[in-house]
Amino acid sequence: MPPIRILTAVPICDGHDSAINTINIELVRLGVEVIYLGYNRSAKDIVRAAIQEDVIAVGVSSYNGGHVEFFGEVVDRLEAARLQPRVSVFGGGGGTITHEDAEIMYKRGVNRIFFAGTPLEKIAGYVQSEFCKVSQAAYQAGSAAVDSTLARELTLIENGIEQPLAEGAGKCPRVIGFTGPGGAGKTTLIDELVLRFLRSQPAKKRLAILSHDPSIVSSGALLGDRATMIYSQSDRVFMRSMATRGTPGGLSSSTERALQSLIRSGLFEFILVETVGTGQESVPFGIQKSLADRVVLVLPPDYGGRLQLQKIAMLDVADIIAVNKSDLQGVRTAFAEIEARIRGNKKKQTLVLTQANKHRDLGVDQLFHFLFVES
Amino acid sequence: MNSLGQIVSAVEGYRKFVSSQIRNARDDSRIGEDILKKWREARERIGTTLTPTGLRLPRLALPEFDEPGEITRFLHEEGLPGEFPFVSAAYPEQYLEPVLTADDGSQPNQSDFIPEEPTRLFAGLGLPEETNERFHYLSRNQRNKRLSTAFDGPTLYGVGSGADGVFGKIGEGGVSIDTVEDMERLYAGFDLDQPNVSVSMTISGPAPILLAMYIGAAKRRFGPEVMEQLRGTIQADVLKEIQAQNELIFPIEASLRFLADMVDFCSKKMPRWYPISISGYHIAEAGATPVQQGAYALSNGFAYVEYFRNRGMNVNVFGPRLSFFLDCGLDVEYVALARICRKIWAIGMRDVFGAERRAQLFKLHTQTSGRSLIAADWRNNLTRTTAELMLACMNATNSCHSNSADEPFTTPSEEYARYAAHAQSIVLEESGLFKHMMNTLSGSPGMKIVGNAVEDAILEEFRQIDRQGGVVAAVERRYQRSQIQASGHLLERQIYGGIRPVIGLNRYSSPSDSWPEVHMIRTPREKKQLQRERLSDFERRHAGESERCLDQLAEVVENGGNVFEELINTIEHCSLGQITERLCDIIGKFRPMV
Repeated sequence: MPPIRILTAVPICDGHDSAINTINIELVRLGVEVIYLGYNRSAKDIVRAAIQEDVIAVGVSSYNGGHVEFFGEVVDRLEAARLQPRVSVFGGGGGTITHEDAEIMYKRGVNRIFFAGTPLEKIAGYVQSEFCKVSQAAYQAGSAAVDSTLARELTLIENGIEQPLAEGAGKCPRVIGFTGPGGAGKTTLIDELVLRFLRSQPAKKRLAILSHDPSIVSSGALLGDRATMIYSQSDRVFMRSMATRGTPGGLSSSTERALQSLIRSGLFEFILVETVGTGQESVPFGIQKSLADRVVLVLPPDYGGRLQLQKIAMLDVADIIAVNKSDLQGVRTAFAEIEARIRGNKKKQTLVLTQANKHRDLGVDQLFHFLFVES
Repeated sequence: MNSLGQIVSAVEGYRKFVSSQIRNARDDSRIGEDILKKWREARERIGTTLTPTGLRLPRLALPEFDEPGEITRFLHEEGLPGEFPFVSAAYPEQYLEPVLTADDGSQPNQSDFIPEEPTRLFAGLGLPEETNERFHYLSRNQRNKRLSTAFDGPTLYGVGSGADGVFGKIGEGGVSIDTVEDMERLYAGFDLDQPNVSVSMTISGPAPILLAMYIGAAKRRFGPEVMEQLRGTIQADVLKEIQAQNELIFPIEASLRFLADMVDFCSKKMPRWYPISISGYHIAEAGATPVQQGAYALSNGFAYVEYFRNRGMNVNVFGPRLSFFLDCGLDVEYVALARICRKIWAIGMRDVFGAERRAQLFKLHTQTSGRSLIAADWRNNLTRTTAELMLACMNATNSCHSNSADEPFTTPSEEYARYAAHAQSIVLEESGLFKHMMNTLSGSPGMKIVGNAVEDAILEEFRQIDRQGGVVAAVERRYQRSQIQASGHLLERQIYGGIRPVIGLNRYSSPSDSWPEVHMIRTPREKKQLQRERLSDFERRHAGESERCLDQLAEVVENGGNVFEELINTIEHCSLGQITERLCDIIGKFRPMV
């Protein structure tokens, strides 16, 4: 039985994430894969993410009013996307949502509202019992929008269900892999690169992000990369979060097939693949890099000294090494040590200093150029 | 940027100083004699009060001991009210009623003293004119008009009412402000230039833009010289937004810069304005323990002081403009939390930053705990709030906001807002606990023991943050956030596991779980539509000027000038949403932390 995948979020102009954080943790504990979109998210962002992630339910935690309209908008947008089976919408808002409100919301198509004082187990129990039996089958050709069809294809791939992939569209997107230890700033860096892509490329050009978070076999996972992303909340970006479901090394056992599916869809100019935070030994895209056209290793300056560098296998394989958080102490040492380390490899590898958390960082501009502009 | 290590050393140094003073007082009989003499004189100077029941009491309760060492310990560890380190109170006669009865029993000047309802009550709903109406209602019997403003979600995030997907949020949970004209409507009919009117605004992310609008609105009504008459507070605590409340819009560095620009401007040109309210409240509401609340609010405060000082601002000019805002719940730490915060702040400001007396004061506004209020058997919330008020007053808070019992459901109804305000009056005016004598309930052995434990725990938190490179570095590593969240989860587990009794919820719950008959205050569609129309009308009327103003603002941002000063011009022709959007174009957006 594949894990239940749901999306949770807090509405636009609302930062009350205390309740949803607790609920997310409880759901993950019970084996649910929770894609958390974060707070201050519009109905449009929520539904876009729900479609791309192909979740079976959306949970919204709203604490500062306007919930009747907001939940209504989420339901309407989901209806408009004509997803099969219908995506359930549930949520709560402590005492701010009255029973009368809930009645109106139910009429608008909301499935379940939890009121103030509901025990955590009751909410988790609802998710488990309501959604464990929902089955998702492939869409008939032409019966759904391209993103929904693609998203379902990815779901079936993840769940190990064999199916023919769509015919290749002849377009060959560039696949860029991002790897590196947890906390290096991969997600932020990707989001900044996306901003540059959106600003520099014509409006009809799109890209895809395949993002991984760790999980063990038959357990839940908190897939939270979307929550810290700002610019990737765009119709021009197709993002999919995958739990590794026990596969070691940084990617999922389904990654390769998922990637094929994204490539064949013909929808994207670029596909960015983010691994989980990796260890020294891991070479997630293979020594020959068969899975990606370019591979970026993102490292923080505090990797632990020169000797540690010798052990990082990716330094032999990556095309580009981005030393991120270049505002931190020790970045000059890091630059010199890494430069010395890769010089010995005697192949064309590029070293850049980036500060992804800085707006308009020149290092990120440079990285963008290497990855997206240079052929 | 990191002074916390020095603060820890200063507090430890102060403890050593007190020990040595105690030793001297005991060992050197000449010093001892001198202390005893001064102690006697101090006691003699204290006036007396006659209670309505005929009891004569001193206006300040001093301990009974007459041993030089203990006297020294009391004076240095606790301090008289209004004296360093301000543990018992920031001001000498804070809660006392003026003397009503002369010693001969005649009643000389009773008419001079007309008590007043303590109502800095939070209000904000719908459109500016509705909140305005509410302000007039709440303050109708007040000589001092203290208007406390809550803003709706779009305003808190600097988003215009016309933005995509926010329609439902307009005017919910607070008032909707898009333009300087809205700000005029919001405070219409109040004499903002008069000393009896003060305004507080609970907003942080776009605070400089909102304060600029407030100044603009006041200037339109009272002329260009009004700035120095304006009284009030704006929250503007950006660090706590990152740690707990999630309502930040600009990146950290830019947020700090805009804040410093505003504080700098206010300390020079608006001598009656408090341009920042350093808040533990939202940290506690997000689940922090009382110690974490105190430690993070204090350390955020010290981080601001350090940042401002490094910009060349004078601690004695901006220091007295800083104020604090804490939560008061029912955990035992609240027996002494505010007392200890006053002490650590005073020592840090004096010994690390060289501040004079006025800049050493930890001026405190307390709000009772919103998180402690629950929906089940909700009238119990009246009792919770009252117990919390007692603790807040025992800790000599300078002002207080008591929550309305119906808050788990809605913006406070008039009825329960009145009960909440009256609870304060019952504690401070009706009861004899605080009005006759300072320190009636202060300084018990338990209070001291709790205080010492709290102080040690706060210093330990400081050391943790210091080791990570200081407040801002720790914030960027999500340290405070993760600690607060962990405490929040623990609290939830304890409540659901029954380890923490919550009456009516996990203990003694009544069989009929009656939903209250509270009247929900909601903003109707037509009003939301009206707000949108007004905004587009404003933007239309100013279309010729707005681009030029935004360009001018951008230039100041790029060239390093005082952004706040420029915003006072910008808001004349630009809306909140336009300004935020342009600023984000230049400096980027705050990347959410989860």
